[in-house]
Amino acid sequence: MTFEPTIVGFLCNWCSYTGADLAGTSRIQYAPNVRIIRVMCSARIDPTFVLKALTDGADGVLICGCHPGDCHYSEGNYKMMRRFPLLKTLLADYGIEEERVRLEWVSASEGQRFADIVNDMTERVRALGPSPIKMALAHDMAER
Amino acid sequence: MDEQRIGVYVCNCGTNIAKVVDCDAVVEASASLPGVVVARPYKYMCSNPGQEMIVADITEHDLNRVVVAACSPRMHEPTFRKALQKAGVNPYFLEMANIREQCSWVHHDPVEATDKAKALTRAAALRVARHEPLERRSVDMCPNTLVIGGGIAGMSAALDLADAGGKVYIVERNDHLGGNVARVDLTAPYLDSASDMLTGRVTRVVEHGNIDVLLESEVKSLEGFVGNFHGGIRSKLHDGGVVDQEVDIGSVIVATGYKEFDAGRITHYGYGKLPNVITSFELEKMLRTGRVETKEGGAPQYVAIIHCVGSRNLEFHTYCSRVCCMTALKYAHEIKAAVPGCYVSDVYIDMHAFGKGHEDFYRRSSEVKTLFLMYEKNDYPVVRRAESKDDCEMLIEVNEKLSGETIEIPADLVVLMVGMEAREDSEEVARLVNISCDKDGWFIESHPKLDPVATTTDGIFIAGACQYPKDIPDSVAQARAAAGRILARIARGQLEIDAVFAEVDEDRCSGCRICNDLCPYSAIEYDEEKGRSHVISALCKACGACVAACPSSAITARHFTDAQIFAQIEGVLA
Repeated sequence: MTFEPTIVGFLCNWCSYTGADLAGTSRIQYAPNVRIIRVMCSARIDPTFVLKALTDGADGVLICGCHPGDCHYSEGNYKMMRRFPLLKTLLADYGIEEERVRLEWVSASEGQRFADIVNDMTERVRALGPSPIKMALAHDMAER
Repeated sequence: MDEQRIGVYVCNCGTNIAKVVDCDAVVEASASLPGVVVARPYKYMCSNPGQEMIVADITEHDLNRVVVAACSPRMHEPTFRKALQKAGVNPYFLEMANIREQCSWVHHDPVEATDKAKALTRAAALRVARHEPLERRSVDMCPNTLVIGGGIAGMSAALDLADAGGKVYIVERNDHLGGNVARVDLTAPYLDSASDMLTGRVTRVVEHGNIDVLLESEVKSLEGFVGNFHGGIRSKLHDGGVVDQEVDIGSVIVATGYKEFDAGRITHYGYGKLPNVITSFELEKMLRTGRVETKEGGAPQYVAIIHCVGSRNLEFHTYCSRVCCMTALKYAHEIKAAVPGCYVSDVYIDMHAFGKGHEDFYRRSSEVKTLFLMYEKNDYPVVRRAESKDDCEMLIEVNEKLSGETIEIPADLVVLMVGMEAREDSEEVARLVNISCDKDGWFIESHPKLDPVATTTDGIFIAGACQYPKDIPDSVAQARAAAGRILARIARGQLEIDAVFAEVDEDRCSGCRICNDLCPYSAIEYDEEKGRSHVISALCKACGACVAACPSSAITARHFTDAQIFAQIEGVLA
């Protein structure tokens, strides 16, 4: 059986969540692997959310916000944009592969883009296999 | 914390959800979640009986939390919050799981879609257990309105608002009111004069004591929130300078209209190269002077009208511009009146005659001996210069769909029915007032069917062709609907706004002031004496940027707390 990854998606309310809703109203089919959690702005996404998702068993984390310049709160997405490289450095130190955590901009009109991103990310994470954190935790549990 | 008594309601949405998601399985899985007392499916949760079911269960089972697994919360969260309120439960003890837009509408496989629906519903149940009761805030509703755009839509909305006693600022970029309607001669289907219709409106607007018309002006800034916006307007002065002013308003209507498609972008019609290929707006200009003639000054014997220029094709705009078909039919009447004996042909894809009186108008137009030639979408007619032996100036080659033959028709004047497109700066306007544009640049409404007047930003409304191509009656209807929505709020004097904002726990705050500069609304103040920061709740818009940035975890985002989001993460991954 092929490995099916579970991906947690954090989407900002104004652009990306609405874009995902548009994918729905447009009946655009995409991979069922992403579970969406709504936040008001991508700037609300605390790095601990991403770490929590990974330690709780997510194989990947997708963060979506408004395109630069289009933030409902004028510049929240820039805050996320700046936080992201720091988070990636930290994750790399823990041995989390680059492609497991992704930041993308999706506007309210980009239902197709959202679906494409989900499909692409699902494929890439599927190719990577289960998250090393999940594997390590499962190993620890087996040792006990 | 009180004992958790959660009710979970799984909506079938007719068959919208139930045809893919096994709703009974979602109910069954939810019933065993911690704190869940009752779990039920229902055909339409948002219907009155659906809501009453929740209200009755709250009383009967003493519920204090509710999960509704249904459509997007962007659609029905307010509906279900009201149901909770009706039953005497704080409306923030609701959480929705989006199993329609995120499951049944985007996944074909019933097993995968049902698994995902279970995960989202579980996350909602775990989250709602950590919800806290929040009190909504009441704020004053400023009775003034800013209308951006002085076309037929903007003026119609302004008059209704001003007649009811509200102050209205119309900001118009041009040096006159009237918008695109001011460029039109007669209107379809009744052939009434556009200028007669417009003159009355313009006079009323200009003379109205409650309306400030600001010509050659632009909105430069908009701040604040519903009921309490502050707009910055820049107006040109006659001496070349500018003057800026600030206005306090409670609502904004964006009525910026459309621009016509640039016919030069299609090469095979020869626009810009053949002198007698003109656009519909150029013909309107001739009709208003009462003379239809070629560039050489002669009366055209053959006029050909080409439909869907820039509309309904894959290369430019895929949508229908909706007004051109009837406008084209109108031309047949007007041209024949101006040039008796002239032959008019309509080269079209389909004839869209959807509006009131339109089909009758189509029939009457056929009766005035207009020649109709149908072409296939994306198989454009080709216009070329005729040779000296021909008795006309140009020839149009059409692969005529009904006869299946390639036909050549003569033309001395070719009229291109240019479609509507969003203005180049629609993205800028959207950014200014915090709304969104679709892929074509049209402004996005709050809901395509149930709320086509509001936007995703409370207090900002859209009217007219800036949303999508519209004719005059539809533009006026939307404008007056926007005015009605605003007047309902003005009549109440106050409005309730979301109870969601950030709070600083002063005991945990270290006074580092990182959050102070981070806030886009300057809603965080530093108290020098205490050495602590605090949030001015009326200014906070709840983005949560400060919450994620606080190194002491001293800031809480109400309704989006760490505990609530952690619970949701656990829920989707369990």
